[in-house]
Amino acid sequence: MNPIIGIAVKDIKTFFREKGTIFWTIAFPVMILLLFTAIFGREIPFNANIGILNEDGQTPITQSIISGLNATGFLTLNIFQDRIEALKELNATNVRAVLTIPQNFTQNLLFGGHANLSLVVDGSNPDVARLVSDGVRTFFSEYYKQLNPNYAEPIIVNEETSVVGQKIGYKENIVPGMLTYPLLFSSMVVSTGAIVFEREKGTLKKIRASPIHPISMLFGKTLAALLQTAISIIVMSVLAAVLLGPKLNWNVPLLIPIFFLGSMNGIALGLIISCIGRAPQEASNAATTIAIVLQFFTGMYFPIEYLPTYLQQIGRFIPMTYAAQALRDIMIRNATLSDLLLPMATLAVAAVILYAVGVLLYRRWVEK
Amino acid sequence: MSKKAVIEVGGLVKHYGEVTALDRVSFSVEEGEIFGLLGPNGAGKTTLMEILCGLRKFDEGKATVQEFDLAKDSYKIRGLIGFCPQETLLYDLLSVRENFAFSASLYSLGSKKFKERVEFSSKFLGIGEFLNRRVQQLSGGMKRRANLAASIIHDPPIVILDEPTVGFDPNVKREFWELIRNLKGYGKTVLLSTHDMYEADEICDRVAIMDKGKVVALDKSYTLKETLGGEASIRIKVKGDHIKKALKPLEKYNLVVRDDEIQLFVANPWEVMPEVSNKLVSQGILTERIEVAEPTLEDVFIKLTGRRLTEEQK
Repeated sequence: MNPIIGIAVKDIKTFFREKGTIFWTIAFPVMILLLFTAIFGREIPFNANIGILNEDGQTPITQSIISGLNATGFLTLNIFQDRIEALKELNATNVRAVLTIPQNFTQNLLFGGHANLSLVVDGSNPDVARLVSDGVRTFFSEYYKQLNPNYAEPIIVNEETSVVGQKIGYKENIVPGMLTYPLLFSSMVVSTGAIVFEREKGTLKKIRASPIHPISMLFGKTLAALLQTAISIIVMSVLAAVLLGPKLNWNVPLLIPIFFLGSMNGIALGLIISCIGRAPQEASNAATTIAIVLQFFTGMYFPIEYLPTYLQQIGRFIPMTYAAQALRDIMIRNATLSDLLLPMATLAVAAVILYAVGVLLYRRWVEK
Repeated sequence: MSKKAVIEVGGLVKHYGEVTALDRVSFSVEEGEIFGLLGPNGAGKTTLMEILCGLRKFDEGKATVQEFDLAKDSYKIRGLIGFCPQETLLYDLLSVRENFAFSASLYSLGSKKFKERVEFSSKFLGIGEFLNRRVQQLSGGMKRRANLAASIIHDPPIVILDEPTVGFDPNVKREFWELIRNLKGYGKTVLLSTHDMYEADEICDRVAIMDKGKVVALDKSYTLKETLGGEASIRIKVKGDHIKKALKPLEKYNLVVRDDEIQLFVANPWEVMPEVSNKLVSQGILTERIEVAEPTLEDVFIKLTGRRLTEEQK
């Protein structure tokens, strides 16, 4: 048997018999995937009570506004005749906001004057307040446009320009992100562990006393780490597809090169860590810690734009950020090969550089 | 006619920082012999073996294995050697057979040859019964046998064993000595290290005594004992704690104190023994035992270094 294959076969067999490794590379990512989806993946029905105080009387405009707000589906309208009574209900949080249609509203709107509305929002729950406020403002923005297409005021709502023309649920967003997890954790932790294990166990001596070149050993370890990461990705993908049923584009021919390049980056990082770590335990801990920290910069769980600008800059230097973005581009935005050339090139260059550094450090470390 | 030398070491020097681990070590190992490196811990035996196996670099000197230069052809040499270190280098979660398969793959062994070698190991080392068991389920003795089998799975002409029986009980040790002798019977050249003088005496054709990174003596065991161990010595076990008191009347003799025994090196021990006994009695020192002992390799070592084999060196 070829020594490289021999090393890979040995590592894979050991992997399947080491419960701890299986847990951290397969079961743990799956648990995280399921946990995130259980917490955030439901289509949470949002509904808020709002009070309407119509001081303009029953005009076609006010009637259409009220029926339009009612038709949004996320607002339940309570009609008040008296402002004090409405505000009292607001204070009691029985309604989340009170919208007042002032006198002469219709006249102002139709004859070109400013048509002001008053919205008083319950600020005790900032999330609900923001949703209600955004919802009402979005409704009026659309409503004004129907009356007068040139009317630019008052609000521009970003959600209007959804890229796929359909609503993206959390699970559609999180599954590609979670598939980045094996690239970061499994590949890095496995490759660090594979070398550290031989060092700790003393079996590196046996391998080094044989006629195989140290680089062959490294290739064998890389092959095994790639296979282990692939197993982790396949298990996660199948479980995610079966259990969560996300509406995603599983473009396998495009996904494979991203997974491969992402894994190579993780493996190379693991290799560097295992050679720098002075003690085996130190290297293992470092790999886990680095993976935990890096995951927040890569956009795995949330868009990188959520980060402060200076932290976004850090994210841009991490290869896994490009892998996470490419996976979302393929699976959510139906990206084509030409769309992916830049992230693929970035990942490939990073993998070559990191692996080369890893090989140099490894050779120096082996020859010590 | 002398046999062909398969390992030749000349003036080998190895430093670890300011410590000289090997100081111009020279020797040769002949084809088909069992050659022992005898010395205390820290004498440089393991360093020397690891250099021959390509695990460490050396600073000066030259070494050849089957005429391949270690400095140039280290990878070729590794294929000729089966190295079995002190520790068991097997993967606990794999079966013995799977460990063999991995070791065989390191030497690119074909499947036919692998099967033959597994069969051979099963018979030769008696591991057939636990071939398919995971290493973690084996006893210490089984692991060591499997370890030896894994290190020679590629059928190397040279076998290097670093302290092969350290930690074994006497019965298992004797079993292992038999295995090592059998290796020689199969035409292997064996280089082993030990700090057990009985082991060196029992199984080695020739012994190099090492101390502080140097080979201080090298020859057949009985020749070393004859030439350097003296004819015999007188061993005295003094009663009670009078050992210091006993040294005074014996100070004219060449002596060493080992544990609670005094050992006198004299030309004619049988003639001198009554005189020694009288001297002790006249001083009121009682003895538990006084006897003439044949020289051992330990005696040779003491004579050469002034210390015992079991004393650790820095």
